[in-house]
Amino acid sequence: MELMRLLDAFVGHELFLVTYDDVIARGMDTAPIRSTYFIELGDENILLLDSLPQLFLHLIRVAVEELKILIKERPDIIVTTGSEIAIPMCYMGKVLGKKVIFIESLSRVHRLSRTGRLIYPVASLFLVQWKPLTEKYKRARYGGRVM
Amino acid sequence: MEAFDGEIQKGALRRKSDVIFVTIGTPAQGFPRLIRKMDEIAGRIDEPVIMQIGHERCRPRNAQYFDFVSDFTEIKQLNARARVVVCHGGIGSIMTALEQGTPVIAVPRRMKYGEENDDVQVETVDAFAKEGLIRAVDEVSRLEEALGQTIPRREAISSKDQLITCLKEYIEALDKAHR
Repeated sequence: MELMRLLDAFVGHELFLVTYDDVIARGMDTAPIRSTYFIELGDENILLLDSLPQLFLHLIRVAVEELKILIKERPDIIVTTGSEIAIPMCYMGKVLGKKVIFIESLSRVHRLSRTGRLIYPVASLFLVQWKPLTEKYKRARYGGRVM
Repeated sequence: MEAFDGEIQKGALRRKSDVIFVTIGTPAQGFPRLIRKMDEIAGRIDEPVIMQIGHERCRPRNAQYFDFVSDFTEIKQLNARARVVVCHGGIGSIMTALEQGTPVIAVPRRMKYGEENDDVQVETVDAFAKEGLIRAVDEVSRLEEALGQTIPRREAISSKDQLITCLKEYIEALDKAHR
């Protein structure tokens, strides 16, 4: 939802979207987006998995799907606000020489999300929407807010 | 009470200020603390209450309710129509209400009650309340009092232009480096 408010930033560039099957994602105005790929979360809702090893196992399946998308679309830049399904995409993208822009959620004031912490190492641009986070994370930049 | 089947007019985002809209979003955890208290309040006050109850299993008795919508426009319409929104502290719920210019009372989900996996909502609600954008209520016993008061109604902390410009400039710099 937050990312969809920022589409004006990408005018003049071709956009495709990768998201998980969710009514909010389906309800968004996605006019500037050329195509959308839906990643199935499966029986185990990976968003609820607390332990990193469990999360890692489930993200392997997601990674295979996402690798196919990366090979087909060959993006130059990956922009994401999360959630966990973005992690494989960002790591694989980084390995393949893509730029990764991560925008931490407006909900995160003093602590990063798990996704934010995991993508921080591979982000070319790591944006946060509250200034306290720039003090904790040296490469985090405050660039403004989605609202 | 019966489930809400919606007298939503497609395409209309109209303020009627004739309902209180309660929403707890889509987290897998229920939020009985909020739903039960608002149901109790709904039984006492004249004003109609409509609730989006998500994964909460407790069924309101004094309010119309539904769990999820298939078309998010319906949520926007309920936000636009309501006199006030009472929501969990999810950023999506808060943003949707603020975008429609509707006063917001936010009750953050607490990890200690099993309402969420962490206390991010406490941070979010606290920060938005400090900016004067919403009213934060932590103890549901204070909800009825909050409903009777005037709630702040600013629409945004800032415009998104700064963030859009920041992204544009970064991308343009990358484009230039590529050529």
